Amino acid sequence: MSKKTFRKIEPYIWILPSILLMAVFIIVPIGYVFRMALSKVTKAGLIKGFNGIENFVKVTGNSSFGLVLKNTLVWTLAVVVISTVLGFILALVLNNEFKGRKVARAIVVFPWATTLVIQASVWNFIINTDYGTLNTLLMKLGLISAPVNWTPTPAIYFTWEIACGIFVTIPFVTFCVLSGLQSIDATYYEAATVDGANYWQKLFRLTLPLVRPSLTVSTVLNIIYVFNSFPIVWTMTKGDPANHTDTLVTYLYKLAFYNGKQGEAAAVSVIGFLILLACASVYMVYTLRKGDDT
Amino acid sequence: MKKALALVLALALALSLAACGGGASSTPAAASAPEAGSEPAASGDKIDINVIAAQYGQNTQDWWANFQKEFNAEHEGINLNVEVVSWNDIYTVVNTRISNNNAPDILNIDVFADYQADDLLLPAEDYVSAETYAKFYPAFLDQSLVDGTVWAIPDLASARALYYNADILKDAGVENPPATWEELEAACQKIKAFDSSIYPWGIDMTTDEGQAAFAYYIWNNGGDFVDASGNWTLNSPENVEAIEYAINLVKSEYTNSDPATDTRYDLQDMFGTGKVAMMIGPNSIPTYIAEGGNSVNFGVAPIPTNGGNPSVSAGVMDRFMCFDNGHSDEKLEAIKTFFDYFYEDTRYSDWVLMEGFLPATSAGGEIVAASDPSMAAWVEIVGSCKFYPTAKAEWADVKQGVIDVEQKALLGGNVQELLDALQSEIAG
Amino acid sequence: MNEAAAKKPLSPKKLILRVLLYLVVIDVCVLTLYPYFAMFCTALKSRSEIFSAKGTILPVTALWSNFIDIWSRAPMARYFLNSLLIAGGSTIIAMLCGIPAAYALARMRFKGQTAFLGFVIVSQMFAPVVLLIGIYKVMMTLGLTDSLLGLVLINAAFNQAFTIWLLRGTFMSISAEMEQAATIDGCSRVQAMLRVLLPVAAPGIVTTLIFIFINAWNEYTVALCLISTDTTKPLTVGINIFNGYNMIEWQYLFAASIFAILPVVILFMCIEKNLVSGLTSGGVKG
Repeated sequence: MSKKTFRKIEPYIWILPSILLMAVFIIVPIGYVFRMALSKVTKAGLIKGFNGIENFVKVTGNSSFGLVLKNTLVWTLAVVVISTVLGFILALVLNNEFKGRKVARAIVVFPWATTLVIQASVWNFIINTDYGTLNTLLMKLGLISAPVNWTPTPAIYFTWEIACGIFVTIPFVTFCVLSGLQSIDATYYEAATVDGANYWQKLFRLTLPLVRPSLTVSTVLNIIYVFNSFPIVWTMTKGDPANHTDTLVTYLYKLAFYNGKQGEAAAVSVIGFLILLACASVYMVYTLRKGDDT
Repeated sequence: MKKALALVLALALALSLAACGGGASSTPAAASAPEAGSEPAASGDKIDINVIAAQYGQNTQDWWANFQKEFNAEHEGINLNVEVVSWNDIYTVVNTRISNNNAPDILNIDVFADYQADDLLLPAEDYVSAETYAKFYPAFLDQSLVDGTVWAIPDLASARALYYNADILKDAGVENPPATWEELEAACQKIKAFDSSIYPWGIDMTTDEGQAAFAYYIWNNGGDFVDASGNWTLNSPENVEAIEYAINLVKSEYTNSDPATDTRYDLQDMFGTGKVAMMIGPNSIPTYIAEGGNSVNFGVAPIPTNGGNPSVSAGVMDRFMCFDNGHSDEKLEAIKTFFDYFYEDTRYSDWVLMEGFLPATSAGGEIVAASDPSMAAWVEIVGSCKFYPTAKAEWADVKQGVIDVEQKALLGGNVQELLDALQSEIAG
Repeated sequence: MNEAAAKKPLSPKKLILRVLLYLVVIDVCVLTLYPYFAMFCTALKSRSEIFSAKGTILPVTALWSNFIDIWSRAPMARYFLNSLLIAGGSTIIAMLCGIPAAYALARMRFKGQTAFLGFVIVSQMFAPVVLLIGIYKVMMTLGLTDSLLGLVLINAAFNQAFTIWLLRGTFMSISAEMEQAATIDGCSRVQAMLRVLLPVAAPGIVTTLIFIFINAWNEYTVALCLISTDTTKPLTVGINIFNGYNMIEWQYLFAASIFAILPVVILFMCIEKNLVSGLTSGGVKG
């Protein structure tokens, strides 16, 4: 092989293992989801012929679907935006040198290192009206005299789920940003200080643009992960009452494994995929064309 | 820095190599039948039986592990492998396997109609010996009857009744446990007045088991899911009245604060600590309370009824079924051997008692009743209680549907309209 | 801190900022640890105390035996080992496949580059719950159901997106000059990457390592469906034994979960120092 041909195909050799891994273990299963979405699937899960867009019509015709879609958007937006802002600030804080930083950083890893099912169970234990530790704590401190019902309405329960989502997502953002902050050269800051820039100017003109690549990665992936997040809502409320706390994933899980409607469940996941794809395309067109090099 | 990184990478590499080794050595054949050796010929002599069983409690896994060991030791030609899966996940696991045409040989679960509808099951008489088949209560077998054929056999049952905290009722001035809906409301009122921090009545309308609440109220108001000829009657006047009554208990603040998210477990735990005064629960509650280290002074009574209807106990029954995986005659014989072994009277009563359930065979019933006087009454009840219409193909939709109705009603929906809509969706 | 202050007196403004910094850090730590405090206390209680109407914060009598009992009630050691093997194996395979791909994207120009990046993102857009049936199908074809290797590969695949995207960004932010110099000195491209680029990219690599390890360590749904032998179960699936039809043994579930956090935190403590750059003093300091 000539050197020139090798140069041409070399990049593909470098990416080949990764492509193989993803193609076999993710893309093939995704193909199967599309097949189910367009097929008649029996309650036991057997595919019995093509039925076009019937599953999609059934799903979108359901009166709860709009509510579930709205919940999913609220859930994704709230968790991603708030955890990104807080995680970014926390990364700036933890980037300072101070005594006990190693311990503080290790503590911040905790919520990330815990299985989500357990994390969500603990939150339920904390906010439960009858045996929750939050009520016990506040009563021992004398702040309240009788147990408070922390989850009086579905909307408030959903807010607690969002809070739990934020809690477990912050470490992810923080460490993405921290890894980005490490590559910033201190001389930039010294130069800016000499030029008389204040703290905020440095933050917005120097730090933010420089950590943008890692912040973008964490945000884009976060949108996808949070949109598809399952264990928190499932453990805390199972989407009850009457779909008021359901997101697309918990909704389709019930469809697939409780109601035996796997075709419709697959249709819901294809709809979710199309929504994410639309968001990602906007991002790709916007960022990649501009070139996201630092 | 470089060093640390190299260390981590080396560690990860070592682990992954070990993982691959571990993976290779724990393929099903090697893990479940080490005595079979690696020669295909050697394992070919044995008949594999794969079972997926539901996890009823702490002891289930150990019980099955022992069963498997003893069974395999006594039956040279059979290699039994039992996989125990928790109730939370069993539908996910089973449906994934079935979608891939990889169903277990034998499945222990609550529902069977969906599998039967897809012609995946064998008739019970094909895989159960006549001798074992004759042991079951006929009423139980009828629960698995579709098109004149019995497709599944009962593995155990549980029955529900009213549990009340005798001390709270006495202190609140309630003389007898409520037998009618009027008495129930009066008792709730008295308990509430006595101590407002106690929930007089426990109710569970969650996705977990909300269909049970639905059954308790409609059955004890003369209503039902279906009429005598098997047509759905979800919006019958009796059903509407019953659910309105139940919702009204919640609205009057006689119940736990959030019936849409407080599961049966929460209620049982709160009953055990005296936070809930009365609830309808399974016969396993005494075991539950004792194992939890609580000692409330409780009593058991029939479920309160309305309009002079007789009290109906709700029964829950789980099943074994055998998938039609193209079994050879030898394999069917082996499966019969398995069931004969399982339903052998002392082993079977041990199975039932292990997690505090009720037997589905008359011989088992006699042993269980004799072993524990408190169980005798339950064995009696379970012979006469009512079951969900699980043999009907629409049951999964009805189950989710009635839970949805309850939860929407809790949020302020009109019970009549909700049940009308559900009825037309299911039957129309 | 007193010592430092004595050596080099801080200006009032800086002193206030320091105090603020510590206040923020302490608040964050307390808030973060509160659920773990609740978990730990519950793990030490008896069942009856957990649901007791009176409510206690600290256990009346601490049942340390709960932490010991779980090891005999379930083959916890085996579950732990399986989880370590899965997480460790996934980490190495994801890195072995992801680093070269990220390197090619950052340092080479080739047709289909953008398409590949898009492909990577698209691979993440379905929740694992949705893919279960298809994944099982693939694993059956490959004969990898009920094996740790299957879980290693699937976890490695699921973590490709993050690995590739984060490392691509990290590599791009590092100047290529040093590698070019190394190549002129006679290093091959692979050698230049290994010896010159990767050490400088340590913060990004460490973040990726932790990310993959944690994700694989906590993966539940796929393991649940693929593994059918008790001795092959990872910890997340194995501790289901405390979650029965008749009762949920919260004290055991939580005790086991506390053990489950330890390996991740220990791993983190070991490699955390790579997340510190000697270069910068940016951040909150005015």
